Amino acid sequence: MNDRVPVIVFIGQPNCGKSTLFNAIAGFKAQTSNFPGTTVCHAHSQVVWKNRVYSIVDLPGTYSLTPQEPQEKVVLTHIFGEKPDLIVNVIDASLLCRSLELTVELLELEYPMVVVLNMMDLAEKKGMKIDPVALENKLGVPVIKTVATRGQGTKELMDRVEKILAEQTTPRHLRYSGEVEGRIKKLIEMLPADFPVIANPRFTAIRAIEAETLAVDKFFLENNPEFKKGLDRVRQEISALREAPAYEVLAAERHHLALKIFEDCCRVRHARLSSLEKLDSLIMHPVLGLFLLLLIFAGMFYLIFRVGSPLEAWLLKPWEALRLGIQERYGHNLPAELLVGLVQGVGGGVAIVFPYFIPLLLLMGFLEDIGYLARAGFLMDAFMHRLGLHGKSVPLFILGFGCNVPAIMATRILESRRDRIITALLIPFIPCAARTTIILALVAFLLGPWWALGFYFLNLVVVAVLSSILTRVFKYSSPGLILEIPSLKWPSPKNILQKTYFNLKEFVRFAWPILIAGSLLLSFLSFLHFDRLVNAVLTPLVSGLLGLPSSLGVTLLFGFLRKELSLLMMFQALGVSYGQLLSVINRAQLLTFVTFVNFFIPCLSTLAILWKELGRRVALISVVLNLSLAVLVSWLVRLAFALF
Amino acid sequence: MFGHKKDRVESPPIVGGVCSLLEIPHGHKFRIAEINGGAGLHRRLLALGFHRGDLVALDGEALLGGPVLVKNLNSDTRIALGRSIARKILVEPADEHER
Repeated sequence: MNDRVPVIVFIGQPNCGKSTLFNAIAGFKAQTSNFPGTTVCHAHSQVVWKNRVYSIVDLPGTYSLTPQEPQEKVVLTHIFGEKPDLIVNVIDASLLCRSLELTVELLELEYPMVVVLNMMDLAEKKGMKIDPVALENKLGVPVIKTVATRGQGTKELMDRVEKILAEQTTPRHLRYSGEVEGRIKKLIEMLPADFPVIANPRFTAIRAIEAETLAVDKFFLENNPEFKKGLDRVRQEISALREAPAYEVLAAERHHLALKIFEDCCRVRHARLSSLEKLDSLIMHPVLGLFLLLLIFAGMFYLIFRVGSPLEAWLLKPWEALRLGIQERYGHNLPAELLVGLVQGVGGGVAIVFPYFIPLLLLMGFLEDIGYLARAGFLMDAFMHRLGLHGKSVPLFILGFGCNVPAIMATRILESRRDRIITALLIPFIPCAARTTIILALVAFLLGPWWALGFYFLNLVVVAVLSSILTRVFKYSSPGLILEIPSLKWPSPKNILQKTYFNLKEFVRFAWPILIAGSLLLSFLSFLHFDRLVNAVLTPLVSGLLGLPSSLGVTLLFGFLRKELSLLMMFQALGVSYGQLLSVINRAQLLTFVTFVNFFIPCLSTLAILWKELGRRVALISVVLNLSLAVLVSWLVRLAFALF
Repeated sequence: MFGHKKDRVESPPIVGGVCSLLEIPHGHKFRIAEINGGAGLHRRLLALGFHRGDLVALDGEALLGGPVLVKNLNSDTRIALGRSIARKILVEPADEHER
């Protein structure tokens, strides 16, 4: 056996549980959810199985091998560009019939392959009885049953992978009906010698026939007028067979093959309506569904407030006592100041993470995994159309409530670049979990829950207004909605916990150290009176325009790293403890500052991902947009308080 | 607010039992007869497992001219389709016992 690390790719239709299976094998690496298109870029992992290293790639879900959506193109470059050593085709067993269409297509590649029947538990609940041996015979490749959420079947899968790689068995493609197969053969014979063959001549010929109306087509054929003529003739002949476009005829061929296999290998007994299906009819109800949507979000914030706020007060107490103790004992010298800074940094982190961040992440994870996001998109589509976008953006905004960064990455699922840019420009205005935490902590804790809710509402109004302005600037009607609604699934607690842990780790690894370092730095700077310089520079903005104490200026520097740091630094800068804040600034000032920071420049990681995903121009527009809106809206808040 | 009514006027008249997805009652079996519109839409629907001849049923719709929910009875999948797209899909009534 040679030393090269074999490459194994996981391919399947969106939502088939690929990423969950990948995580079960590779440890936690890929983000998963019950929403099509979560894996927009692929995840890599090196896995050791029985003393051998394998490189495993989790590709985004794709419905077919004809690229249409941006994330599907990733799949193609992978399997066409770098020939994988083995394909693991993951199938949602409960959607066996449709999933087999992709399987038939993959078999045409004639690469070594294993088929994984995932979600077997769900299929059984639906009354489906699948015969894996019959399926194996029909497809000519090994079929493994798994329940990825419980880690069932992963060992068998890796054993089979090992065996197939050792034996180098390649499958045979399945035959279309004779008349179509004859036309394909004709085209194979016409392929010029220099034609870029993918996988094998038959697969290449099928791609060429199907490439009709796709941009790839022109590129291929401009230099080959002779072949082009032949290809057009073959397409016409195939088209004439069924009185449909050639690509539809081929798709129908695969459909029939899949249907035939399905009928031979699967029996469906009549299934009872599960409790989830009953729940689904409520969720999707045009009126009750919207009501439920509102209720879910209101309930989510209420719960977090009811649980988080008292917990926060309780958690802050010892840190507060510690800080006061230090100051009392050591007075105002540098080590004492630094110690206080450290205590505030660590304590601030504890007070955010436990009461607010964790519950919010758990709830978001639950909504994601049960399959609520796509449903919210369906319910909200009409409203989004009034704002010039469509329902597919809704799940992205909801993801943005968790963290802006993955939400901006997931804008790849939007077909048009215009929709992508607008959505990506709007997402930084959605308060992410970290920001929500601070808003809830500060506003709800100090002013009361209604103020926090009002602030949230203001935030959403700003997003809506901005959206209608942006969609008027970039004029163009967005394409209609086509969105698969996956069946509701009971989420696996393990999966949600893993996801929460993953996000939490990110926070503890990156944000918390910055928070502590920032707190220390601020103590140091204020000891040297350096902060006065920064404050003096920012005074026209902070005091002049917004009417805030000029000592808050220095906190904005930290806002460039993460917005919420500005708010946490506020106590340090004003030299007060949590409970005493309102003795130094008034309500109007607090709200003005929170507003300003909330809309302030996108945090460093959001900015970086905007730059990477959509280019420098969009990132710069986003900065300008956020800064100007921050100034405008917070000034309006100040004005509103002055007037009423 | 007014988009809803306009949709009804624009949709093609019912000829020989063929009508668009927007005009059928909820929960009844229909067969996809024709998919109008460009190749892009056609391919997308094929990839999602919606073929000509498939049995479908309307499973719900959102408020205020929002999308309709279409269930494919053959593959047991559901997709949400915006009205502008649902209008392009023509269906004909199918026998309730057909499979």
